[in-house]
Amino acid sequence: MAVIVYLTRAGGYLLGLQFRHISRLRPVLEILPGCAFMAILVPAVRVGSLFEAVALICVVAIMWKTNNVAIATLIGLTILVFGSELSSLTGYT
Amino acid sequence: MTFQQSMVVGARASFGFLISTFLFGLLFGLAAASVGIDQVMALFMSTAVFSASAQFAALEFWQSPLPIGAIALSVALVSARNILLGMSLAHQLDGHGIVRRMMHLALLTDPAAVTMRRLDADVDRLAYMTGYGLALLASWFCSSWIGLTFGHFLSDARIESLDFAGPLVMATMMVLFVKGSNSSALPWIVSGVISLIAFEIKLPPYVVLLSAVLSGVGVGLFQVSRSD
Repeated sequence: MAVIVYLTRAGGYLLGLQFRHISRLRPVLEILPGCAFMAILVPAVRVGSLFEAVALICVVAIMWKTNNVAIATLIGLTILVFGSELSSLTGYT
Repeated sequence: MTFQQSMVVGARASFGFLISTFLFGLLFGLAAASVGIDQVMALFMSTAVFSASAQFAALEFWQSPLPIGAIALSVALVSARNILLGMSLAHQLDGHGIVRRMMHLALLTDPAAVTMRRLDADVDRLAYMTGYGLALLASWFCSSWIGLTFGHFLSDARIESLDFAGPLVMATMMVLFVKGSNSSALPWIVSGVISLIAFEIKLPPYVVLLSAVLSGVGVGLFQVSRSD
């Protein structure tokens, strides 16, 4: 497992080094992680509950306004926990 | 700025993500204990692999005898985004020998790669990534141990409610990424739309990832060709 994970990290870098001399590719290389995040994030939000959607909106809004990862994450997690408690009380998801 | 000073900058910058790393480590410790992994083995895994997504993927298949092939394949698939993160660093880690760069890449983490682009020019990127990674590794290791040792005090319902913590953390990284980038957001929007379509028509997860990334890259290449 450790070898596989390391190979993905180092292999990607080595692959990037092969293409770095093509200056036109630089902006494309830089958008790659964002594309991967969106590919993982969107389906997760699609199957999420109402409280999870609210938590996500709050996290994005706080991050956009403050850039403070700690506060955004803490508030998001708090909404998740209380949302779960509330939905178990009301039966609403 | 020296290598050590840049490492400290990286370790300090990791503070925001220490909370989420701690939480994931806690959940990993709980999950590892529940499938019966030996504590030493679980902590060794947390240190050597140092990847929440890969470790959780491996736990899904943890049984006796170990299905090595299934574990290897699932770990490779969930770690595929590391290839993209690594590629995005191609212009960032200059100034060090290739052997040193390759060794330090073991500590590459998503938030370090995302936040690196916002750094001042005098910060050593390799040292920043190393400091960032070491701080998160310490948090990951300690929280895994706490989860393994004391996890039974948490109720199952409370643990389940934190399943969505991963997407929340990814959203924070995406905001940092968008705000720190000079690029147009169109490739990411297209990636999101394509991943939604691929997900809705029930394609396998790796096809969803691949189609979304390739479509985003396609849009990026188109934008570059038009700007020439």
